[in-house]
Amino acid sequence: MSKGSKHKVKKFGMVIDLDKCTGCGACMVACMSENNVPFKENESKKLDSITWMRVYKLENGKSFPEADICFLPRPCMHCEGDRGHAPCVSVCPAIATDYDHNTGIVSQIYTRCFGCRYCMAACPYHARYFNWRDPVWPEGMEKFLNPNVSPRMRGVVEKCSFCHHRYQLALDKAYAEGRDKIEEDEYQTACAHACPANAITFGDLNNKKHSVYRLKKNPNTFRLLERLGTNPKVYYHSSREWVRRAGDNYLKHEAAKA
Amino acid sequence: MSETQKVSASDNKRKNTGGTTILFFLIGVAISLAVGWVIFPKLLYLKKSQPIDFSHAVHNEAVGDCDSCHFFREDGTFSGSPTLAQCIDCHEDVQGDTEAEQIFVEEYIAQNKEVPWLIYSKQPDCVFFSHAAHVKKAEMSCESCHGEIGTSETLPIYEENRITGYSRNIWGKNIAGIKKHTWDRMKMDDCGECHEEETGDKGSCFQCHK
Amino acid sequence: MKIDRRNFLSLGAGATAGLAFSPLPWKLMDDSSIWTQNWPWAPVPTDGEASYVDTVCSLCSGGCGITIRKIGDRVVKAEKKDSDNANSGICILGLSSPQLLYSPSRIKTPLKKVEDKWVKISVKQAVAEIAEKLKGLRKDKLSHTLACISGSSAGTVPALFERFLTAYGSPNFITVPSVKDIYKLVFSLTCGASCIPAFDIANSDFVVSFGTGLLDGWGNPAAAFKAHSILKDNKKQLIQIEPRLSNTAAKADKWLPIIPGTEGVLALGMANVIIGKQLYFNKNVLFDSVTEGFEEFKALVEKDYSLEAVSNITGIKQEDITALAEDFMKAQSPVALFGRGEGSTPGSLHEMMAVNFLNALAGNFNKTGGVYLLSEPDYINWTHPVLDDAAYYNINAKRLDGAGEGKYFLAKHLLNRLPEVVNSSKTSPINFLFVTDSNPFYTMADTKLVEEAFKKIPFIVSFSSYMDETASMADIILPNHFFLERYQDIVTTCGLKPAVGLSKPVVNPIFNTIHSGDAIISIAKALGGTIAESFPWDNYETCLQETLEAKKDVMDKELFWIDESGVSNAFADSSGKFEFINDKTRQTKPYIFVDAQGEKKKYPLTLIRFDSMRIASGYTANSPFMTKTVADTVIKENDIFIEINPKTAAEYNLAERSKALLTTPKGKAQVRVHLYEGIMPGIISMPSGLGHTGYDSYLTGKGININELIGQIEDPASGFDAAWGIRAVLARV
Repeated sequence: MSKGSKHKVKKFGMVIDLDKCTGCGACMVACMSENNVPFKENESKKLDSITWMRVYKLENGKSFPEADICFLPRPCMHCEGDRGHAPCVSVCPAIATDYDHNTGIVSQIYTRCFGCRYCMAACPYHARYFNWRDPVWPEGMEKFLNPNVSPRMRGVVEKCSFCHHRYQLALDKAYAEGRDKIEEDEYQTACAHACPANAITFGDLNNKKHSVYRLKKNPNTFRLLERLGTNPKVYYHSSREWVRRAGDNYLKHEAAKA
Repeated sequence: MSETQKVSASDNKRKNTGGTTILFFLIGVAISLAVGWVIFPKLLYLKKSQPIDFSHAVHNEAVGDCDSCHFFREDGTFSGSPTLAQCIDCHEDVQGDTEAEQIFVEEYIAQNKEVPWLIYSKQPDCVFFSHAAHVKKAEMSCESCHGEIGTSETLPIYEENRITGYSRNIWGKNIAGIKKHTWDRMKMDDCGECHEEETGDKGSCFQCHK
Repeated sequence: MKIDRRNFLSLGAGATAGLAFSPLPWKLMDDSSIWTQNWPWAPVPTDGEASYVDTVCSLCSGGCGITIRKIGDRVVKAEKKDSDNANSGICILGLSSPQLLYSPSRIKTPLKKVEDKWVKISVKQAVAEIAEKLKGLRKDKLSHTLACISGSSAGTVPALFERFLTAYGSPNFITVPSVKDIYKLVFSLTCGASCIPAFDIANSDFVVSFGTGLLDGWGNPAAAFKAHSILKDNKKQLIQIEPRLSNTAAKADKWLPIIPGTEGVLALGMANVIIGKQLYFNKNVLFDSVTEGFEEFKALVEKDYSLEAVSNITGIKQEDITALAEDFMKAQSPVALFGRGEGSTPGSLHEMMAVNFLNALAGNFNKTGGVYLLSEPDYINWTHPVLDDAAYYNINAKRLDGAGEGKYFLAKHLLNRLPEVVNSSKTSPINFLFVTDSNPFYTMADTKLVEEAFKKIPFIVSFSSYMDETASMADIILPNHFFLERYQDIVTTCGLKPAVGLSKPVVNPIFNTIHSGDAIISIAKALGGTIAESFPWDNYETCLQETLEAKKDVMDKELFWIDESGVSNAFADSSGKFEFINDKTRQTKPYIFVDAQGEKKKYPLTLIRFDSMRIASGYTANSPFMTKTVADTVIKENDIFIEINPKTAAEYNLAERSKALLTTPKGKAQVRVHLYEGIMPGIISMPSGLGHTGYDSYLTGKGININELIGQIEDPASGFDAAWGIRAVLARV
């Protein structure tokens, strides 16, 4: 809002505690169920599998018994770049994706997208997915579709929206109750809400009262490929140095993080 | 001489044909204008009548306000057209003596069938419209988008665009695209226009899309 | 006036110019561009009022409090219930419940098999046919040849089935075993009380897990995850002992790889260190007066479990064992966890007892951060079923599985013995089988043997909601409602207290299905006589209402009824002492730990199973969404991957993704290879829960069911299946 003072602008983001994440995959299913993410018969073929939230498994590269693994959930990073200049937003020829300066959320409008996939090439996090064919819900299964998110069609790109519709529903409730603001717990993404290990914390990175504000300042917190200048809004926390190093491409003798 | 005669003859001929040419040109223009302004709109829109001839005026008088039937739910979402369950509250049995009500009670209430209302202002699935933000927060009146439907005696014919499948109310009442009232058209640019006026910003995609 | 070419062109030009001043081209252009953005075939979810219904998830035995989001009458989403209740949580399986509710593999109506084809029948007809058959069996005095396999023994629905068998005249009510059966045995043998343990992980400061899949599906997964996160917040220690770097091991502060099957030996070795260094003295009030058989136990570990011997057997360095034992006893509130993986196989009794001795030495029973001994909620107080002479006579027949007698005197049910018993007799000793809330044909080890047995049983009635492997083998299917469509009591623990949760219908049944409780009541009524008399309830709902009485009001409000007095006074009940060794345990021969089946020479590798939260391996199978989360290093298209240490793989000339033939004494399968540094050389692992042949095209044929490759090993102490793996060999294809 150009009229509003600067501190009113929200910047939604996440801090994911990798020490707590167990790699159970609950966030992935919560996301798919919330966002009408399509699925196909052969989901064990990953080439064209769509997962807005995807949990990666990192390995430390050492041999048994020094081997170690760590799970890393990867939603869309909602990159701020330099003042909203996110990698995907700047390349979209259709203005089908934009950066919302009021919330910091990067949108994706399916009906506007014509499927050139420049954004997919531009995204360094592989957070964007293409619908190679029309999604099919077997008879009866279309009943669980969420009306707050529009189902996609073939030929368009889709990605995590930080469950923007949940923000809008929270705002609706606030407006109806005569409020202007929403509390931290009123808007939580499906993955953050579902995480049984409470590893995902979601909130307004600009709001001192929100947990993310405090958590992102922990010295063991890092972001993925920070040095690309993407300025992502998803922070990770790990007490293990090799995990923090895995967050970016460091030279062997280079210290992790500035 | 013969040369000049020839010229003038052809001049004459040209004059004659010049008149008819213009005439034909004007006929062409007239036909096109008639087709474009009169026949085309008739062909473009499929006219559908509502299942029941509903009078907003009568109901408004009885219940007093729009939000008695079109209300906000507790969670802040908007209920839209009333469902049968709401109508039953008053119309368990026939109340008045209109034919429309009799049809409603016999064909829908008695058979527990929802009325397939045609929604004049229905937006496509990719659009998120928050009634709460407009009505509660921005304190806009119902009329600013829905016009005078609330005081109408009878439901207007629903006009469906044969190409797009959308209602004429959304995609432009006036065939020339001239907006006389705020509620004449509800396309994206119309939303943007108002948003720009009111908030100084057209808004981001996700403000209205889902 | 003649229309010549010129006039005609002029008309055309006029028309064109006119068109430009009419709305036609512009409107057409606009409309057709909008038309290109129309996808009439893409579904538009119907909108409506959102409502939220709380219920208890019964997809596993965890019993989580969940909230179902509905739009109109549709179930749209399952979420965790926002509440302080310890059981408020949800896992990947619970999140899948909308998909499972509307799944294409749901059985939509009762079915009857006629000449190998399914024919739709009515509920009434199914009940009548079952009753008719059962009447005939009774007439022939063969009532004891009716058996029932039930997924659980807790709650009113299994109780109704058991009651039916009693009234009908059969002792053969068998439940699918799990680690809980062994837990009960461990404590009844050493504490003399019937109780279930609850491990206070969140408040412990040193958790040693002997292969327990704390973060891989054990117990109530959501509660275990929460407890683990608290452990992390408090910066307390978790030590994981197992041969594979599982998700639990990866989260642990220390992972100690151990030769599989020797966990019990390590525990006794640690006990030896603790006793030798007298670390238990100032730690443990138990030892002042309340232990029994301690001297005998001390002598035994000193003799057979020296550090050197234990280190050789387990493959763990001597100093590591000593350090672990010392750290364990130094901690304020240490706790040792036992039960392998998610706990779907019971495992070796002696191994569990050995680990639990560590808890005894630390004296952590009924203490913060230790092991709470809970009594099971005792709320089903029905009058005894009415027995006629025929029932009375046959109810005392020998149990087919032999449980409760002779060398199986400790066990109550032994499902694992059933295939062998059926296969070894000429004609099946079971003439009629009920299968409820379980999929034994898929979940039992040694599939070939199980298949033979199931084929031999003349008549099978399945109560499954899904066309699973066992249901496919049935003769009649009376499909149960899905849990979102039915009432059911769920026996669980809530925090560290025993509790009963109430699963409530969230939607009306969407298919022509029948609650299994109602089904069994109807069958009883159709049989008439004393059997019908034993079922005085009109339907299941009244039965549940009468059983729960006032508790139901609490459950309606809070979902759970918590038994506040449920922490067992275990030691007060019996001798008042923790008994390291007593007359009963002496009978079970001391400390035989189960080894894997197969000759080492022929089968130099060892195959173990691993459990994953992302693959449901029990009665409920994967939803399409869950399959989506499984990595393509586990399953790719239809190929299953085995995990193997790169060193071992090199010996077999195998590279990443190579195809190989895996052979075990029980079977062969073509697999692909995934090189994994997190697995001990010489060991290969495979996930459980894949390789379904039933269900739908989203699941069928994906990978291999590990039960086809693994056999059963009867635990010499308890009779339960204690197999944790099998010897195997790989060959490059």
